[in-house]
Amino acid sequence: MKSIIKKELFLSASPLSYFFILFSFMSFIPGYPILVSSFFICLGIFYSFQSARESNDILYTALLPIKKSDVVTAKFAFTVIIQIFSFTLDLIITLIRMCVLNSSDVYLQNAMMNSNFVYLGFTLVIFALFNLFFLCGFFKTSYYIGKPFIVFGIAALLAVFAGESLHHIPGLEYLNATGFENITIQIIFFASGAAIYIIFTAVSLHISKKNFNKTDF
Amino acid sequence: METVLNVESISKAYPDFRLDNVSFKVEKGSITGFIGRNGAGKTTTLKSILNLVHPDSGKAEFFGINLTGNETELKQRIGYASGSISYYNRKKIKDIVKITKEFYKDWDDSTYRHYLKLFNISEDKKPIELSEGMKVKLNLAISLSHKAELLILDEPTSGLDPVSRDELNDIFLSLAEKGVTILFSTHIISDLEKCADFITYIKNGKIVASDNTENFITKYRIIHLDRELTDEQRAAILSVCKNKCGNTALIKSSDIDAFEDFTVENSNLEKIIIHLEKENCYEINY
Repeated sequence: MKSIIKKELFLSASPLSYFFILFSFMSFIPGYPILVSSFFICLGIFYSFQSARESNDILYTALLPIKKSDVVTAKFAFTVIIQIFSFTLDLIITLIRMCVLNSSDVYLQNAMMNSNFVYLGFTLVIFALFNLFFLCGFFKTSYYIGKPFIVFGIAALLAVFAGESLHHIPGLEYLNATGFENITIQIIFFASGAAIYIIFTAVSLHISKKNFNKTDF
Repeated sequence: METVLNVESISKAYPDFRLDNVSFKVEKGSITGFIGRNGAGKTTTLKSILNLVHPDSGKAEFFGINLTGNETELKQRIGYASGSISYYNRKKIKDIVKITKEFYKDWDDSTYRHYLKLFNISEDKKPIELSEGMKVKLNLAISLSHKAELLILDEPTSGLDPVSRDELNDIFLSLAEKGVTILFSTHIISDLEKCADFITYIKNGKIVASDNTENFITKYRIIHLDRELTDEQRAAILSVCKNKCGNTALIKSSDIDAFEDFTVENSNLEKIIIHLEKENCYEINY
């Protein structure tokens, strides 16, 4: 598995997947729908799938002395590595905002979503949607990438809309805390996001392996 | 002789094509040509053997072991290359190989360098900068460097000029001398005449013949239709081809006595296959 993940990272991946991790820094921007940064990170991963398709990467990998299902596991591992890396950056930025910049006027008067644990939970939901709709959709054919990405895009848009709307509902303003206020609620949102991420990714991996084993090249 | 590949009753149905009970064997150290016209089912068969296409029924055994459940071990011993597919066109060969070799426990760098030198391939080049023939040679170099005992090559010579094809056939012959088994598909029959020990002939998804090349050729005769045919002779004719200097017909060698007054042509693999492909072709009035 070590060799195949190395292959994903150094041979199959598009440089854009790594470059787009920098979109995590958008979490600093006030007055901006910062959840969109998670969409951009997924877009970066999408470019790796596009580049893999153009270079016949899936067939090449399937011919290597590995189990056929490892081809799918490797792509999931690559996706999760990029997502975890981006999430770690998001987490650091969020902690900086919550600990150091929580009294900053630009964040206190921010009409859009603030970077806190609720935001981190939503970030994981968007990653989960990518893993469910895009990865699972891709491995139905191991070729078509357009339709699965559009489906993910619509789902991600709805998630961003939900994230940006919830804290405007009277009584739910605390979801947009700039610091550690209502931290229990924040952690519940975050934990729910993490659970959704784990479940969606595991379900998608299972379905994708099943579909990939049935795919004719 | 040891059987390296045993294909048993592979069938696969598509809406407009059916691979029907394909069975054949490949012997150790031999070169087997897998022939058939475009769309006959050569690529589907090779991909089914390698589990890249899922057959509806049948199985393929490599070195006496079923590929299903043993693919990690068996793929160490098999090399596959397709003449029409290249990988990572924009990456340097040395970067592709650096990653690839980690998957093979028997990878030998000195063998790899030897073949790169022999085939005149620069590692600093990218696949996109190589000719079609060079791409096949690169795949061969990679397969041989992990000590593949069986090479499965899908149309390795198509798209190559005659000199490059001949050069590749020479390489096949020298590899077979070293004990490497080669199964290669082609629709260029002249390639087989030079190097194939065995031929497996597929037509419309069915194996028509799988035999030693010489045996296959001696089974048929080609005669010139330069006189009237009796009903008995008509019945013995397998197919007819139109030529500039008259029509020719394919018959079984066992029926030659019935055609003693006819001119018998020197038959070769290409002529036989072309005639067989025209089987049931009645538009020529003989």
